Amino acid sequence: MPEIKSNKPARIDVSEGGAIPRKSDSGLFTAWRVAIVGAIVCVAWLVIFKPDPYKKILFFVHDGIYITFQVTIMAIVLSVIIGLIAGLGRISKNRIINGIASLYVEVIRGIPLLVQLFYIYYALGRLVQLTDITCAVIAMSICYGAYIAEIFRAGIEAVPNGQTEAARSLGMTPYQTMRHVILPQAIKTILPPVGNEFVALLKDSSLVSILAVSDLLRRGREYASESFNYFEAYTMVALVYLIITLVLSKLVGIMEEKINVD
Amino acid sequence: MLTDQVLVKIEGVSKYFGSFKAISEVSLDVFDGEKLVIIGPSGSGKSTLLRFINLLERVDVGRIVVDGIDLSDPHADLNKLREEVGMVFQSFNLFPHKTVMENLNLAQLIVRKRSIEEATVISTELLKKVDMLEKVNEYPGKLSGGQQQRVAIARALAMKPKILLFDEPTSALDPEMTGEVLAVMKKLAREGITMIVVTHEMGFAREVADRVIFMDSGKIVEQGTPDHFFSHTENERAKAFLDKIL
Repeated sequence: MPEIKSNKPARIDVSEGGAIPRKSDSGLFTAWRVAIVGAIVCVAWLVIFKPDPYKKILFFVHDGIYITFQVTIMAIVLSVIIGLIAGLGRISKNRIINGIASLYVEVIRGIPLLVQLFYIYYALGRLVQLTDITCAVIAMSICYGAYIAEIFRAGIEAVPNGQTEAARSLGMTPYQTMRHVILPQAIKTILPPVGNEFVALLKDSSLVSILAVSDLLRRGREYASESFNYFEAYTMVALVYLIITLVLSKLVGIMEEKINVD
Repeated sequence: MLTDQVLVKIEGVSKYFGSFKAISEVSLDVFDGEKLVIIGPSGSGKSTLLRFINLLERVDVGRIVVDGIDLSDPHADLNKLREEVGMVFQSFNLFPHKTVMENLNLAQLIVRKRSIEEATVISTELLKKVDMLEKVNEYPGKLSGGQQQRVAIARALAMKPKILLFDEPTSALDPEMTGEVLAVMKKLAREGITMIVVTHEMGFAREVADRVIFMDSGKIVEQGTPDHFFSHTENERAKAFLDKIL
């Protein structure tokens, strides 16, 4: 039989996010079910049988959940845009564009997110009038954009060169080649690790509680310092984070499956 | 069908890969309607020479003019040039995320700016020609190598190119599939399109070529009609090569 080059993309493993439950990984798949059921049962049990303080805590922190979602979703959208632009910059043959994109990726990945948060908040936030949430979203997007840029770069480079040659031979411009031929194929390789970054981003969004952003963790801390119920408050916060992370991981898993079927 | 109008003019072209001289002062005219077959051992520069013509490789020294467009001119419309030069690859390079029909339609829609109806009519006709009409809604992954290559030929033809380049189109195929792809290429050859074919299929070269070029170490060392080349060549290097493969 002739050897036909497989176009199956290589899997890029970047695992700092939640573990994405895949059907092929039966251990994780079972663990996901156990964890989600366990966490929901825990929360329900605590709220029903020990409404004081757990129901109070949940009620107190619920607006923090919205803020966490808000920060996460805005940062996801923005970091994907930044990541795509920087990722394309990283594979650009133009030395200046490539240099700028590479420098961005290298510098940002070398500075802890927490430091970046302070930096944007106290440096940029003093120069321009920005709300706390805006500062938080900008800092998280710039930081995660650098990681996502590397995923885009790797995903694009994993598409065989013959695809570009074929598209260019048909008269497509570099832009058309990227838009119609390369990116649609790269997306399959890119999505799993990017999904992982989304989960990581959601968890890291708890860092914005250091700024004056009233996210889930900050609201939990506020409750704790008012009532001195530290253990109970953080238990509830941890459980809520766990449930959100598990659900998000599952969504990423489903999205992956869908894309692989198409 | 062969005219005296030069469609591709290659003048004193050289190419280095690092310190390795892949192409060494090659000059060659290809005429409108000509069927040119390039043969030679691997590493002799056949594919590189072919890839110059649609700019997948750039020359270091010399000049190439294709259909009146000087490829070294920085203002030349190279996308336009590529529309006029079709290429068929050894590894097919169909777009795996698109169906057979979409593979044929894509460049027609976004490069040639044809309407979807017009493109579909053209694609259907070409798929009929390469006998792939029944697989029109399949994805390339579901097709055999020979079927993929026939689709790839139809895809190149859909742009209505003036020149069709073939870079070892059957080297990745088993004999049976090779036969079906060569049959399609022979059919095309009879229709008068200019073809430049890099191949190891000597039977095809003998039957279809107007002219055979033999390359070795980055140079054209022998050329002539198939009859001259296969039966009467005096060139020692070409004789040695033919002895080995025939």
